[in-house]
Amino acid sequence: MIGHPFTYRSPESAAEAVELVSAAPARTRVLGGGTWVVPECNRGESAPDLLVDLRRAGLDRIELVDDVVHVGATTTYTALMSSAIVLGHLPMLAAMARGITGGAQVQSQGTIGGSVVAARPQSDAPAVVAALGATLVMAGSQGERRVSGEAMFEAASRSCVRPDEILTRLEIPVQGAARWGYYKLKRSASSWPIATAAFVVDQHGSGSVTDARLVLGGVSGTPVHVDVRSVLVGGPLEPGRVDEAARLVAASVHSPWEDELAPGSYRLAVTHPVARRAMEMAMQQEDS
Amino acid sequence: MTVQADPRSEARAFTGQSLRRHDGDDYVAGRIAYTDDLTLPGTTHVVLVRSEVPHARISVDTDVALARPGVLMVATGRDLAEHVGPIPNAMDPAPTGGQALELRVLPNDKVVYVGQPLAAVVAETMQDALEAAALVKVSYEPLPHVLEAEDALADDAPLLYESWGSNVMLAGTAGHGDVEDLDTRSAGVVRGTLRTGRGAPAPMEPRVYVADWSTRSRRLTWYGTTQAPHPLRHSIAQFLGLRERDVHVVAPPVGGSFGFKNFGHPEEYLVCVLSRLLGRPVKWVEDRASTLRYGARDSRIHYTASFDADGRVTAVSCDLLANHGAASATGAFGMAFAGSLAMPSGYDVAHFRCDWRVVVTNKGPWSPLRPFGKEAGALLMETVMDAVARETGLDPLEVRRRNWVKADQFPFVTATGLELDSGDYEGLLDKALTVLDYENVRREQELARQEGRYIGIGIGFEVLPEGADIPGALIGASDISTVRMDPSGDVTVLTGVTSPGNGNDTAIIQIVADRLGVPMDAVSIVQGDTDLCPFGFGNVSSRGILTGGGSAALAAEDVAAKLRGVAAGMLGCESPDRIVLHDGLASVVGEPERALPVAAVAHALYTVGYIVAPDVEPTLEATRTFKMGNIRHHADEEGRIMPFSTFSNGIYLSVVEVDIETGIVDLKRHVMVHDCGVMINPRFVTGQFTGGVVQGIGAALTEEVLHAGDGSQASSGFKTYLLPRANDVPAFEIQHQVTPSPFTPLGTKGAGEGGVACTMASLLNAVNDALSPLGAKVEELPAVPHRVLEAIRGVGR
Repeated sequence: MIGHPFTYRSPESAAEAVELVSAAPARTRVLGGGTWVVPECNRGESAPDLLVDLRRAGLDRIELVDDVVHVGATTTYTALMSSAIVLGHLPMLAAMARGITGGAQVQSQGTIGGSVVAARPQSDAPAVVAALGATLVMAGSQGERRVSGEAMFEAASRSCVRPDEILTRLEIPVQGAARWGYYKLKRSASSWPIATAAFVVDQHGSGSVTDARLVLGGVSGTPVHVDVRSVLVGGPLEPGRVDEAARLVAASVHSPWEDELAPGSYRLAVTHPVARRAMEMAMQQEDS
Repeated sequence: MTVQADPRSEARAFTGQSLRRHDGDDYVAGRIAYTDDLTLPGTTHVVLVRSEVPHARISVDTDVALARPGVLMVATGRDLAEHVGPIPNAMDPAPTGGQALELRVLPNDKVVYVGQPLAAVVAETMQDALEAAALVKVSYEPLPHVLEAEDALADDAPLLYESWGSNVMLAGTAGHGDVEDLDTRSAGVVRGTLRTGRGAPAPMEPRVYVADWSTRSRRLTWYGTTQAPHPLRHSIAQFLGLRERDVHVVAPPVGGSFGFKNFGHPEEYLVCVLSRLLGRPVKWVEDRASTLRYGARDSRIHYTASFDADGRVTAVSCDLLANHGAASATGAFGMAFAGSLAMPSGYDVAHFRCDWRVVVTNKGPWSPLRPFGKEAGALLMETVMDAVARETGLDPLEVRRRNWVKADQFPFVTATGLELDSGDYEGLLDKALTVLDYENVRREQELARQEGRYIGIGIGFEVLPEGADIPGALIGASDISTVRMDPSGDVTVLTGVTSPGNGNDTAIIQIVADRLGVPMDAVSIVQGDTDLCPFGFGNVSSRGILTGGGSAALAAEDVAAKLRGVAAGMLGCESPDRIVLHDGLASVVGEPERALPVAAVAHALYTVGYIVAPDVEPTLEATRTFKMGNIRHHADEEGRIMPFSTFSNGIYLSVVEVDIETGIVDLKRHVMVHDCGVMINPRFVTGQFTGGVVQGIGAALTEEVLHAGDGSQASSGFKTYLLPRANDVPAFEIQHQVTPSPFTPLGTKGAGEGGVACTMASLLNAVNDALSPLGAKVEELPAVPHRVLEAIRGVGR
């Protein structure tokens, strides 16, 4: 039971939501699916005066607009993994959604936007959307704001979304013919991710790599972008080069994340195999 | 004393059948009412204010909270000390040389762990109570704290309980024989240290207590999650200074307990005193963080073992140091004692010694938790057996065969004084090997190693002392059952054992229905109500069927004898012995046409008994119990007693694969063979072992309560305390062996604690077998990935 009195609102548009959150941002929490914020309130770790539930704000649409997939912030994992647009154009995002811990209940309740805004190091979404080159679109009283790349996540549990804004959607370029690999290391089925690697690679018809993005999750407060292009671009994706690229990762992690489930030294130690396995997955992928 | 089995047992319709639970539909459909579903008129709600620091003197200011709307009372330890004394101890360490425990429902002036309840807010609604609890002001005068057992033993360690003069609650020695100078008088010696991390109870349903003091009848009615209604009634009466008859304990269906819901927790008594002060029902519902604040395991064993040239273990000595956390009245300290007695397991080791100490620290208290510390025996001996195998080059299975108590040695007195009733340990292994092709798996292991994959095969063996009867405590190896047949032929069983959700109630119905020859649905059972049921020790030490089933069988046989007498008269049969009760009929053996419905026989005794059965005592009711033949409380010349009645046992073979880059352990196969004697319902036995194995997998691989240096508990929910889920475990390959106990009425042995210890041992050994080519070894459970990886990387350092 939530131990303090609060007001619950479920606005029916993004504009109405912005109005609500910008009134007293410091005393307001926004609910995507509520899988994180509601338990926090139950445990008394958060005691907002106002809970703004975005469920009815019409932010759960998935649309394809000129080779960019617009994913509404309150799209659930279940919706992601059953969307033809996502399955067809963002297979890595669909794979991530399928692997969300917590089973059908959490998959049908939790939202991609909620996970991005929560920016928890132990979540799947931040590193995956970063690797997919997503842009976050926020609405605030000053209008719309767009952020992409490393600026999306500022610190552990702090995204670029400000308290007086709401995240309305993610814009993610289609993966096209790019190969991809997503490897998640967990301690057991109920465990949060300990370390993840999301890898997307573009190749010429000849097989020569033209671009590659590798983003690690769980190993640091924010997703770690590893520049593997220097090793991979210009040659084929093959075991020797993949292993060489994987060797770059440990040096990219400056202050490893540490929590109840694993010490920082462990996270640092597994970055190499985790990154290599994600790249191997891409390597072994059939041409789509 | 041996109680004769009923010679008609071969004709049993239900016993031995894997019937489904008689009330299973109610559970599945959500029709079962647990304690939290119970709301009495006028119920008030308790929220506890908890300590934020691990060790401090406290003063509590309740004024602001008390002024809140809806708040009826804010009680501190000092307030309540004017009304009640300490919590009665479920088991008391003092008579055996331990410290005197005087624990209060709320502390008077000092807290000793983070999360310890220090004040209770009672309000009209939970919401009111929660809001007010946040306004109770606590001033802490911090004291140094200590979290690790070794540190708590230091001369300058802060003392949790100053009057003790140390942090050692209780210490003892188990064993007999000579364990000195092992190096000089044996072919070889193995040494090592084993550590088990802190585990926690995790029943689906946390604890819930409701106390209802009636100002009119001056009686207290208590509803809640308890395994032991009658012992709890006794201790509540003692606590409140009431006569036992003026306390009525009701235990609604329980959603799992595992020892945690035995008695002695502060809140069980707190609600009683609050209700008496307020004259209204008081309800307290526990949250998950509180459940996980109770602990178990958290122990360290140093061991030395010697062996001869044939791989026979000649002597074992060990030192067991248990971190109990804060003290508790639940008798949880007994887990260290039971662990030491469970050594040296089912092995014929002539010279054995275990010195054990239970130490308090500034963590939450230990709680009783399946298998009540006995995992220490299995872990120690299975580690020793594997170490001897490595040293001698013998196969680990062969080492066990050479060291076991053999089937013709029973009853066998172990070095710690336990008299193992019966068993066939070789038979267990032979059966396991019919399921797992050991030679082939070893070949696959070798091939995998050549591919750089690390497969391990582990053996775990356990012998579990169960059916405890503890001198001086309300934990006994007997129970009383009443069997009653109505004039309509319906049967009611009243028994002192309770069901924690394991189906023992259905199994007792099977036992009774068979003996009375009536269908299952003619029999109902009443458990967990001290005004209705005969005295019982509840559900503890794996004794529900042992004692509750056994006494119900005896009572049912008494009623059956009367039915036979009446039926013989009615059917014109000269001898009641020729009457069989079966399929709802009483008939003359071999003459099925000479038959009457059992219900008609019952009705006749009630209505025309003086005509049809002048020699049969009226009414169809019997109450029986029995005494275990093998319990011994008089100490022998070495001071050893025999407080257990049965020794179920099992062997497991586990196959794991270790990912040596990440330290992740994947359990591929788990072959389990168990022997709990006669099985009344194999489905329920399998269910118990399946649960035990999953708990063992958790203890071995994933479950660990961690504390930060400041004493706060890092593991507070199921995302930070990882229980295995269904997709973490393979399909278990379960076999049963039946070696009946010669000492129990039905030949049954305990089945409630099996699988945990065995699984912990087999997984530890499997992981180490997998890592053996690397020269790495894990010596601490759970074998979480970072621990496994540290072991691998530590090689050669």
